[in-house]
Amino acid sequence: MIFRPFNILVYRKYFSIILLLFAGVIVNGQETTLIAISNTKGAPSIMKMAELKSVLKGEKQRWNDGTKVSIVLMKTNTPVGEATCQKIYNMSGDKVKRFWLGLSFSGKADAPIFCNSISELETIVAQTPGAIAILDKISISTNTKTIVVDGKNSF
Amino acid sequence: MKELKFIAILVIINSFISSSVLYGQNTQIKGFVDALAGVQNDKLSFALGEQDLFITSELSDRFSFLGESVFRFTNTTPTKFSVSIERIVIKYNFYGNHNLLVGKHHTPINYWNDTYHHGRVLFPTIFRPLLFDANIIPLHTTGIGLQGHNLGDLKFGYDFMVGNGIGSTDVLDNDARKSITAAMHIKPAEGLRFGISWYNDGIAKGAVGHDGIPVQWAVDQNLFSGSIAYFGNKFEVLAEGTLAINKTDTTGSQRTLASYIYAGFKIREKIVPYARLDNLSFQEGEIFYNNNNTTAIVGGIRYNINYVTTVKMEYQHQHAAKDGDSNRFTMQLAIGF
Repeated sequence: MIFRPFNILVYRKYFSIILLLFAGVIVNGQETTLIAISNTKGAPSIMKMAELKSVLKGEKQRWNDGTKVSIVLMKTNTPVGEATCQKIYNMSGDKVKRFWLGLSFSGKADAPIFCNSISELETIVAQTPGAIAILDKISISTNTKTIVVDGKNSF
Repeated sequence: MKELKFIAILVIINSFISSSVLYGQNTQIKGFVDALAGVQNDKLSFALGEQDLFITSELSDRFSFLGESVFRFTNTTPTKFSVSIERIVIKYNFYGNHNLLVGKHHTPINYWNDTYHHGRVLFPTIFRPLLFDANIIPLHTTGIGLQGHNLGDLKFGYDFMVGNGIGSTDVLDNDARKSITAAMHIKPAEGLRFGISWYNDGIAKGAVGHDGIPVQWAVDQNLFSGSIAYFGNKFEVLAEGTLAINKTDTTGSQRTLASYIYAGFKIREKIVPYARLDNLSFQEGEIFYNNNNTTAIVGGIRYNINYVTTVKMEYQHQHAAKDGDSNRFTMQLAIGF
């Protein structure tokens, strides 16, 4: 076999492309870590995942202290919104919107507030007693708290 | 003492009003409409469906409102269209998942009537099952009801409603008898729901029935309904049946059984082929309903373009004892806006 310096450059190029592709797969495969937060009034500080899912599906109207449950979510086309649809609802974003369309207009539950940004979501949660929300980082807003789900701060 | 009572009443009224004002009303408006094209008797026709307008509003921490108005084709008006109030529901959440409902409701008699409104985009098939077309069950009740849902591990739910009976209007009952609806359901697993209900009404002689025809005899009606619904990620099954027992002085008790089963299979998330089988079986002496034993089979495909846009194509073959066989092919575009 004859050694040709030119071939090394070609191999390097292909190798780089393969590495980039792998990197892309790894980045895509990374799951967004989610955190449940709530207003200091209403939601408990500790919940089971099944209970959290039930609340976020509109199955609970009031917390144990009597405060009305208000669901606040990121829009389903945002990374946090997409991750919420998958991990909480086990549905695509479109199906989650359809789910709420059916539920709210049959009069069974109040539709969630869908937010464009994390800061908007944090503000609404901080200002609304009974609000519960899902985001991807610990909130530092006053009047909010992190809910421990199945013994963990994130899921 | 009288002054103290008056002040106490004022304080209570004020607390209701101020809580509503402070809450900041959250109102949403949404609409649904559909357009159809169909072939029947070798003729292609285009048609407008219903335009359904919704308003929901959270009036206060405990009060909420839902209104549904429908604009539809009606041959008897000069404009050929009419507007109807399908639902006006004022809900008061008095404790946990327990609510008091006042207004005009979809009678919570079975899964379909309790779950789907007039917006066709959420219907699993283009048309309602035959038991709706045959006026077997009451669709609306104007009255007052108690409702609870998702209670306990089995997610038990109940509805108890008292309202104006068949033959009444939305503002006046035609007789002293009230209709009673009692329903309960459980949801033991994700997407699965079992439900049963009982409806009772005394229909006065001369009252106008669901089909617009005055009743010739006083009828004591009992409807017993049962349903199984499963809407999962891959399969959809909905089976419902109603046993109607209509009793008159002259004919005694006559039994009618109306049922359907729907099944769908998601070959892709947005594409669902489906089938439905309907059956209406009347006892020979039935006089309250149009005694016309009917079976129908429906086959179709549903494509959810997005969450508010759905296209359905459907073929229906129907055999009715009085009318013989009929075939219909229909295509529908349904949207939400």
